[in-house]
Amino acid sequence: MTSGTTPQQTLTKTSAGSEATPRQLRWRSRRARETIAAYVFLTPWILGMVLLTLGPMLYSLYLSFTRYNLLSDPKWVGFANFVQMFTADSRFLKSVGVTLVYVLVSVPLLLVVSMLLALLLNKSMRFLTAYRVLFYVPSLIGASVAIAALWRLIFGADGIINQVLAVVGIHHDSSWVGSPHDALTTLIILAVWAFGSMMIIFLAGVRQVPRELYEAAAIDGAGVFRKFFSVTLPILTPLIFFNTLMATIGAFQAFTGAYVVSGGTGGPVDSTLFYTLYLYQQGFAQLNMGYAAAMAWLLVIVLAAVTGFFFWTARFWVHYGDE
Amino acid sequence: MISTIQARAPRPIFGRKQSTNPIIRAVVRHALIICALVILLYPLVWMVAASFRPSNQIFTTLGLFSAHPTLANYTEGWGAGRLNFSRYFINSFLIAILSIVGNLISCSVTAYAFARLNFPGKKFLFAMLLGTMFLPFQVTLVPQYIMFNYLGWINTYLPLIVPHWFGVNAFFIFLMVQFIRSLPRELDDSARLDGCGHFRIFTRIIMPLALPAIGVVALFSFVWSWNDFLGPLLYLGRSDLWTVPLGLKAFLDSTGQSSYGGLFAMSTLSLAPIVGFFILAQRLLLEGIATTGLK
Amino acid sequence: MIAAAAAVALLMTSCIGSSRTTQAQSAGSAGKGEVKGAIGVTWWGGDQRNRLTNAVADMFVKEHPGVTIDRQSADWAGYWTKLNVQAAGKSLPCVVQIQGRQLNDYTKNSVLIPLDPMIDSGAIDVSGIPKAVVDAGRGTDGKVYLVSYGVAYDAVGINTTVAQQAGVDVPAEGYNWDDFVSFLTKAQPKLPAGVAAANLQGGIPGVFLGWAQANGKKLFAKDGKLGFSKEDLTGYWNMWEKLRKANVTMPADKAAEELGPDQGFLATGQVMATEIPGNSLTAASNTLAGTNSSQSLTTIPYPSGPAGAGATALSANGFAIAKNCQNVPTAAAFINYFTNDPAAGKVFAADNGAPSNTKVLDAQLADASLSATKKHELDLYKQILAAKPPIIVFPPGYQATFEASFRRNYDEAAFGRMTVAQAVDKFFSEANAGLGQ
Repeated sequence: MTSGTTPQQTLTKTSAGSEATPRQLRWRSRRARETIAAYVFLTPWILGMVLLTLGPMLYSLYLSFTRYNLLSDPKWVGFANFVQMFTADSRFLKSVGVTLVYVLVSVPLLLVVSMLLALLLNKSMRFLTAYRVLFYVPSLIGASVAIAALWRLIFGADGIINQVLAVVGIHHDSSWVGSPHDALTTLIILAVWAFGSMMIIFLAGVRQVPRELYEAAAIDGAGVFRKFFSVTLPILTPLIFFNTLMATIGAFQAFTGAYVVSGGTGGPVDSTLFYTLYLYQQGFAQLNMGYAAAMAWLLVIVLAAVTGFFFWTARFWVHYGDE
Repeated sequence: MISTIQARAPRPIFGRKQSTNPIIRAVVRHALIICALVILLYPLVWMVAASFRPSNQIFTTLGLFSAHPTLANYTEGWGAGRLNFSRYFINSFLIAILSIVGNLISCSVTAYAFARLNFPGKKFLFAMLLGTMFLPFQVTLVPQYIMFNYLGWINTYLPLIVPHWFGVNAFFIFLMVQFIRSLPRELDDSARLDGCGHFRIFTRIIMPLALPAIGVVALFSFVWSWNDFLGPLLYLGRSDLWTVPLGLKAFLDSTGQSSYGGLFAMSTLSLAPIVGFFILAQRLLLEGIATTGLK
Repeated sequence: MIAAAAAVALLMTSCIGSSRTTQAQSAGSAGKGEVKGAIGVTWWGGDQRNRLTNAVADMFVKEHPGVTIDRQSADWAGYWTKLNVQAAGKSLPCVVQIQGRQLNDYTKNSVLIPLDPMIDSGAIDVSGIPKAVVDAGRGTDGKVYLVSYGVAYDAVGINTTVAQQAGVDVPAEGYNWDDFVSFLTKAQPKLPAGVAAANLQGGIPGVFLGWAQANGKKLFAKDGKLGFSKEDLTGYWNMWEKLRKANVTMPADKAAEELGPDQGFLATGQVMATEIPGNSLTAASNTLAGTNSSQSLTTIPYPSGPAGAGATALSANGFAIAKNCQNVPTAAAFINYFTNDPAAGKVFAADNGAPSNTKVLDAQLADASLSATKKHELDLYKQILAAKPPIIVFPPGYQATFEASFRRNYDEAAFGRMTVAQAVDKFFSEANAGLGQ
């Protein structure tokens, strides 16, 4: 308020030749200062983009229009890669199908499980720290090379699941991880098993909710469900949005689980051939890096559309604190 | 924010009978949690138990107990590799710590700009930020490698650390943006009234309140860096530079003799720093500053 | 910002286009020169292989002061990713470990240099290596690109204890495919529950190659495409389908979950017979000792056929020299040392196949401390070598296209998702699209 301007409302000529009140000048210079501040704050990121990120990205876009086997130079082929994907490649279509199923099943499961557990571990109780650590640990090892062995231990033909089922009288002799119609399920379970990191994000957000709000709600007679839907959920919407979007993008790009469990092959008869796994096979095993780049950029377009859609729906249900 | 709470006639406080004993409820709750944990953690518990069995007996049982417990997997596994595993741990730590610091600094300043400041091109740049997450890493591997090779950074830690100082992790930036945006703007405004410039608002107001976000970024940064396999594979050729995941991979040899005992033993050990870090960081990340202090 | 980034991208395009290492000691030189300076050596393997390779490298450095060796190793899958990325950046280490199966992917794109000049000048001495093994390192142009130090072969691994309990004899020398099938079928009814007579091998490329060779089928045509006919493959897959449906082999889903040979079904006592790489006998026996120490394993050559006795192709593991190598004399000297030096051979202890150099091999066999299984591995190699096995020149695209597609399409048939005829058609179209380019 007291920014040192003179009390008169005299008009001043600005450098652009137009006339402005001191208030408008202050506003404009504040905007200019804010812009400068913003770009100062953004400097590391902009440098990173230009020097480290954009170059490789644009180069890979170029590659998607070439035939490139890594060992000799790229050769321009125009849209041939994209045409081949949709007309002459059944494995491509298969990988799209596998990935879509994975996204549509694992993302909602992940969200629900991690939210429930975040709420559960938000109450004060004994051993809370221990519980939090223990629920988090699986997500630390979810990408490890040991998973291949562990998942066979559980889902193999002689694995734990089959033994447990036998105890209750269900005789399932076949291998889950070796059967084409069950292998993807084991990977979905792997994704949900490693829910820990999403739970942590929700937990951090849930802890942010001011206690007075719960107290006020309690005074108003709100029970547990009411409190959740009226207090917790609205405040959490920015993080729910974040987790949903990130989980979806992550599921579309899922790679490591399938790579480790199937040994890089995409599972029995391509039943776990995730999109990026197929991309990786094309690029690094079959030395069709141009084709792999084309697949990658197709994924970019899809993810851009999905993200755009998410952001569009966000305005209907996400409440930010700064609005 | 909380406009959805409706006023209702207050209910009598003592009118409702407690339907269950609180102790019984607590016991049931703990029992359910422990059940869930047992199911969830059995593979890991099995792995730890297996690491105490001789390597060629590891897969002989689905259970936990064995007739011949041994520490050999730990002693041999630790001494495995050209240098022993302690070197891999140290290397991993070094890279992880430097990555965390870089991430925290670069991601928080970027997030502040996107969350709190208005400037021309903001929508476009934010779209670009998200856009960087869409391209799968498999296709940028080769151009990035060529770039780092040109700079002479192969066989150094630079390709693994420097990018984090320049905000390449859009995930963290976006996460912090969401956190910061959930803080009310009145805080900024009142700080500005007191004469604070943007930088002061950033350091004195926003960052302390965003401590949970910082905790999450620190934790995930540590975990991702610790578990990163592909980066070290490509950029760290010399075995004295190796990180823990490369060391773990060396226990499995599809062309020779795998040592699952060593793998499980060292995997168990490599969980320890992350779990330790989590226990330390969870206070920061979950408690933050008491949010009643929204002054 | 976009403009700046586009400039960076263009810079990279030009970087890749140009060859950056133009002042390599000329690859046409005979590879003789001073042995000094730095070279890079890269290989695949796990902990034990790394230790042994490093030990040999240390010995070389000791004998040649002034030489430094930059060592890089990775696991099998990661090795090829890394190698291809390095090749894309034209920054391969000088000495590159490679096998015949992938060799021609690299020779076709001129990533490796021919080693004939070095052989002729004596920088790399191959006189102690059998001709068949030297030939296994030739590219499609006939030049030698890889000098093998360890020779691997595929064999049939048999659990002799289980076979005995089932009342069948291990097939005698010179047995053929019919004998093999009847060996399996006879044993099956008498095997304990959970043990199958054989693994489901229809989708294992190496086994098919062995069958095709034994039956005189041509594997690859001159242009690198498939040389055998659809009828050949259909007959072969039908044979395995018959066995699978009769429960003589593992069921398809169980077979799909198997881990590598050292932890596979033979090593855990779940099959009586299966294909394993010959040099996995020791590893599999070690694993078996943990499950059931009273059982023992042995290996025998592949079944023979009208075209040859024990026709098993040899797979040469060895080193090649990258085109961007700046220090060819030292690289050649290293390869020569690794392959031929008796002390190096002793230290390395045949860890990656039987030593190619006959003297080194004989020294290994004479070593009293050699384990029984290792001795058997080496003896079997000698036996196979003596039978003058055919040399397969794998066309470009073999490892990437043939192997993966073969396994996958057989599995389609085995899981009942396609008929054998459809699977054969699919395999032929996929393989021919990817081979020989």
